Amino acid sequence: MTTQRARVLSLQILSVLVVLAAWEAVARLGWVDPLFVPAPTAVAAAFLRMGRGALAGLGDTLAKTAVAYVLSVTLGVGLGIAIGSVRALRDVLSPFVVVLYGMPKILVLPWIVLLLGFGTTPAIVYGTIHGLFPVLVLVMGGVRDVDRTLVTVARSFGASTWQLYWKVLLPAIVPTVLAGMRLAIVFCLLGVLIVEMFAGVRGMGHVLGSLANGFQAPELFAATALVSVSSIAIVLGLDALNERLSIWRG
Amino acid sequence: MLRVLLLVAGLAIWEVFARLANPLLYVPPSAVLPALGRLLRLESYPDLLASLLLTLREILVAYALAVVAGLAGGFALGIHRVIGRAYGPILAALYAVPAVVWYPSLMLFFGLGEASKIAFGFLLGFFPITLAVLAGIRQVNPQMIMVARAFGARPPVVFVKVMIPAMLFTLVGGLRTGLALTVIGVIVGEILGSRSGMGALINHAYGLFRTSDYVALVLVTLVLIVGSDALAGLVERRAQQWTE
Repeated sequence: MTTQRARVLSLQILSVLVVLAAWEAVARLGWVDPLFVPAPTAVAAAFLRMGRGALAGLGDTLAKTAVAYVLSVTLGVGLGIAIGSVRALRDVLSPFVVVLYGMPKILVLPWIVLLLGFGTTPAIVYGTIHGLFPVLVLVMGGVRDVDRTLVTVARSFGASTWQLYWKVLLPAIVPTVLAGMRLAIVFCLLGVLIVEMFAGVRGMGHVLGSLANGFQAPELFAATALVSVSSIAIVLGLDALNERLSIWRG
Repeated sequence: MLRVLLLVAGLAIWEVFARLANPLLYVPPSAVLPALGRLLRLESYPDLLASLLLTLREILVAYALAVVAGLAGGFALGIHRVIGRAYGPILAALYAVPAVVWYPSLMLFFGLGEASKIAFGFLLGFFPITLAVLAGIRQVNPQMIMVARAFGARPPVVFVKVMIPAMLFTLVGGLRTGLALTVIGVIVGEILGSRSGMGALINHAYGLFRTSDYVALVLVTLVLIVGSDALAGLVERRAQQWTE
């Protein structure tokens, strides 16, 4: 088992190195135009050059994403519990929620920018819309699928409605909420980046867009790598947290 | 019944609100129908059909590429356990990156024309298909392969008769997700920057503040998106019946 893990790891590291070396060689030999495909060393140099500016853009984007994330998880869980647990609401609203969930959000982007202008607000609103629906749909389903016996037993032991929500429903949907939180972060980041590209004045999306328009390929690649690495780090961090929590839950 | 009522009430409230607040910004529903009529009679945008066809062609090319590359990539990774375990997580990690960060690089590389939209649609569609093939291969019961081999079936026969049917359901699901994402990718690409196609028309209407035309264009694009997904859903149900 451990030998296989070592083999897997060495294969991973080796292939990344091979790809980077091949890329460097191809760029150095002039087989590709360095204007479009800069060598990895040029990208690294560009990264060092950009330094503080790129980090400021990243910070701006992540701050917007964090606000959108908190909003979409709170709204998603709250609305999901409300719609999922009240029969009348569920019957009437769930088809609308499913349709809105399936509708590509990109189509309302111009309208949101028209309403809210350029800057931070449309990014947060659009990021929230992106993250909200996956959480909402998951939580709605989770609440609907809570074991009826648990509810009946709690009721027959005289639990109040408050206790029913707090002691039975909420603990039962924790895994669903965690799954939703894992999904929502990427969606929020996606939404924020799209708005920044479409109508941004700051943030990584705007930085990426203007670097592409300025044909600054090394800087563009460096910025792309920075955003990618940070979003992978965030997702892996959430996964680790999730695992911790599930061990703690038993 | 209640749902219809709610829908009508919602539209009515919107209508009243939009008229009171700012009809240009909030586009009352009553303004959308005439705009849709003008659009479909090719009065407001005479090049509607050409744009629709261009977007459709971008989607088809991107999806065809994504299917071929996704199937090839998935089987190549699934053929050996160590290879799959080495590259699977890398692929999954890349999948966790919001795909739109790649788009500026693609624009730089492929330009403003249709190539960058095809590349972006391909990229979005490729991942779910590859991951579905990988998941599907893991679902195949190794004993079935062993039995087939023991009865003298050669690898191609095992592949077609044992593996494909066993993983069909997962595979078709991945193909459907891939199509949906390819469609979104092409349209996102067009809206973020293009000269032609539905996204360019939407941007044009938005830029000139022709909001009711914008809503009409969005509705037409929505038909395209929903239609392609409905078609994929039909195929998926066929495959489901066939496996059962």
